[in-house]
Amino acid sequence: MESNSQKQRFVYHTEGVCPPEIHFHIQKEYVQKVRFVGGGCPGNAQLVSRFLEGKHLNEVLKLLKGIACRNDTSCPDQLAKALVAAKDGNLDPAPSFQVYTDPSPKNRIGLIGDLGGNSGVLEILIQTIREGGVDGIYCLGNLTGVSINNKDLIRLVRKEGLTAIQGERDWRFAQKEPDGDLTLLGQKEKDYLFRLPHVLSFQMGEKGGIAFFGEYIQRLPGFSDFDPFALEINMVCGLTQFMQDETVFPALEAMISQFKARIILFSQIRKWGHWQIGETDFISLGPASGDKGLCWGLLEESGKKINLKIINTGLPAGG
Amino acid sequence: MAKAVKALPEDIQKIVDVYEWDMRTREGIQRFRELKAKSLPSIALDGDLVYESLIPMQEELCDEILRRYEEKNRGV
Repeated sequence: MESNSQKQRFVYHTEGVCPPEIHFHIQKEYVQKVRFVGGGCPGNAQLVSRFLEGKHLNEVLKLLKGIACRNDTSCPDQLAKALVAAKDGNLDPAPSFQVYTDPSPKNRIGLIGDLGGNSGVLEILIQTIREGGVDGIYCLGNLTGVSINNKDLIRLVRKEGLTAIQGERDWRFAQKEPDGDLTLLGQKEKDYLFRLPHVLSFQMGEKGGIAFFGEYIQRLPGFSDFDPFALEINMVCGLTQFMQDETVFPALEAMISQFKARIILFSQIRKWGHWQIGETDFISLGPASGDKGLCWGLLEESGKKINLKIINTGLPAGG
Repeated sequence: MAKAVKALPEDIQKIVDVYEWDMRTREGIQRFRELKAKSLPSIALDGDLVYESLIPMQEELCDEILRRYEEKNRGV
């Protein structure tokens, strides 16, 4: 590993142990934020990670190597392999944010904004949206809220196979160190939120699109202004303040030629809106449950145009 | 726009410091908003937004720089 004073984040895909991934940071050869994700013994894993926090790589490696648990390896042994790979430059730093690409192009997409942990609302919306005949449902976050139903909501998202991205609250809830709100989520749910993509890339007719929650992505460790889709994120969050400052639209128009995406969805400001600047569509999602009751958006491709219909179900807010 | 500034005659180059902000970056966007600019490209002189969208003729830009320079150094 090159001597790098910048914090670098790594994701290691394990072999032969319960958790499929180990995430960790390295800064100036010191180990930080080790997290075994997706399985295993959460208590022991947390203990290991607390013990290792801020220790030098060489010191950590001495402790971890050669411990066997199953399949002739163990979580510590896999972490040792991961650290050695990072140290030797055989493991590339992970990008600051994760992009998931929807493999199947879409014509009609059901859009769901902030759910705030309300599984009842989601249940109704799924049924209503599917009756409306869509070929995909995207949930842009936040999935969770200060709610006793967060677990049920996550279960429902998984069971129904919805495409979901991480919202800012989901990201906070997924962090390892507990705070008050985390009491409502188990390790499994936290891991699910942790592994949610930050950005969704999709195709609608001839247009490529992206969906993301909002500006917290710019604060993720290692965020680079030159990451794929960072330009679109910077323009929406920073330049136009989520399209609320129309005075800068001429500047936005000048930058659009450098965009990779032609449809840009975001949900941070919890307000429905559709702006067409040049050939690019910018769409802001309102909350799933708002003043006018339960609400979703139908994004439709018609010819070369992208249409957004905001559909108020007429059902009262709160599910 | 940056080319127009970089191509200034040497006597003008000597009295100015040129900063270029990349609008693709968060830093560039922040500066753009601080200047209350609206379109691209833009040129600010002494923190004042002077040219937007239109690239000034070199002569015009030099005159404006000199005017400001003389104003600042009057009585020095």
